[in-house]
Amino acid sequence: MIRVERVTADGSACTVITLNRPKRRNALTPSMIAELVAALHTAAEAGGGVLLRGEGPVFCAGFDLRLCLDSTDGSAIRLLLSGLSDACRAMRAHPGPVVVAAQGAAIAGGCALVAAADWAIGEAGGRYGYPVTRLGISPAVNAPFLEAAVDGGRARDLSLLPDLVSGEHAARIGLLHTLCAEGADVTQAASEEAARLGGKPAEAFAVTKAWLTELEGADRDTRTDRALEVSLSLTGGQEERTMLAAALNGDR
Amino acid sequence: MDGPQAEEHAVASDTPEATLGFDGPVATLTLQRPAQRNALSTGLLADLHSRLDELDAIVSPPTVLVITGAGRSFCAGMDLQQVIIDQDTAADVPLRLLESLARATHRIRMLPCVSIAKVNGAAIGGGCGLVTICDLAITHADAKLGFPEVDLGLCPAVVTPWLVKRIGAGPARRVLLRGGIMSGQAAAEIGIVTDLVETREQLDERCDSMARSLTAGGPKALRATKELLNELDGSASLEVLLRAAKLSAQVLSTDDAQARLRGRRG
Repeated sequence: MIRVERVTADGSACTVITLNRPKRRNALTPSMIAELVAALHTAAEAGGGVLLRGEGPVFCAGFDLRLCLDSTDGSAIRLLLSGLSDACRAMRAHPGPVVVAAQGAAIAGGCALVAAADWAIGEAGGRYGYPVTRLGISPAVNAPFLEAAVDGGRARDLSLLPDLVSGEHAARIGLLHTLCAEGADVTQAASEEAARLGGKPAEAFAVTKAWLTELEGADRDTRTDRALEVSLSLTGGQEERTMLAAALNGDR
Repeated sequence: MDGPQAEEHAVASDTPEATLGFDGPVATLTLQRPAQRNALSTGLLADLHSRLDELDAIVSPPTVLVITGAGRSFCAGMDLQQVIIDQDTAADVPLRLLESLARATHRIRMLPCVSIAKVNGAAIGGGCGLVTICDLAITHADAKLGFPEVDLGLCPAVVTPWLVKRIGAGPARRVLLRGGIMSGQAAAEIGIVTDLVETREQLDERCDSMARSLTAGGPKALRATKELLNELDGSASLEVLLRAAKLSAQVLSTDDAQARLRGRRG
């Protein structure tokens, strides 16, 4: 459910990673996220940039909640949270540019991938955010990355309020860095950005990116570990089980 | 406060490349190397440190310090001619220049007076870094600002901590990784400068008015507030800047960066 291609545009190499589960709005399963992490590690070894995109009209709807509910001991959600943490770390550790094409919507785990990007491109009229506290899930796992992407007050809003924000709002607060018109080809815009950033002198880019990451503290494993631990501490608990079941049954 | 190194005094020329003037409670520090667009050379930085020594020695320091550039430019950044390593340039020149810049940014940030960058023209690379260390910054809509270091194969490590404090980590990531130059208007939108006038001609008047409103405040209140802000955002750490200088010098000394610099010299 992950497709990986290696492309060369304007002389710079780029690994295109596609979340390929469009019928479920690219909702993440544990195996998908493991594949994503593996693809990011391979891309780092191969060099060049990364373009992360989703097949279909929606970038990513977050975790596959049905699967989370069916896994009664909470093991699925634990794998998803750990995998998401690994994926965000790998995006930060990648020496080249990581560009995310987030058309349509990037929700919860999908929005976490947006926050970890060097450059995130979204769509006007799209929906973005972390509406997971109403499922009894904590978005803490992504907080070290979200806090680096937007200012502290916005990070609190987004993490605590179970609301989605528009693409326009997400661009205003700095979660998205380019906003395409509604219906525009977001992947195309992202490819162009990946080529632009990928064309910079590689070593200067890599050292500057690593220095920025070091200064923001997102690479401090203890901080990211702690954030994951907070999210994991709720999994399989009564609140999460009840709220997840209520939300999914309400969808029907 | 770290004093400048003796050898930096030794290279200071007869005509100072940084000057200090006083008008009541407002001092003005001017970069005086207009023919080189006030590029940061070892000589200019030595003179800058000397002027900072003079400021440090004043018993009742000015309330406001305006920093600006002589001529059409604010500051074109590091003098790239000086960091091309060849038979005339020792291998440690880039590191010494960057450390001197790092110390200068730290000293200006830690001054007790409120600093205003009056960005009269281009502020590029390290020059734009000088803008980000000031408490306030004002420019005109057509000025050119930015950090094109990555485009040149360089790493803007010394200015990175200051830009992060100024506009936040997320926006700083975008600005530094994308490189290039932006207009004064765009710099104001992203927060690199705090105030904007339409034309260069309006700059002096707006800056004077900004300085006047600052001097209307209690000097002790201003000083205490600035010191607290510096404490909260970790400005006092010289260590991170010296590490940044090393990092930047490492990249600057690579064959790739040196080849690009020679290519620019033509």
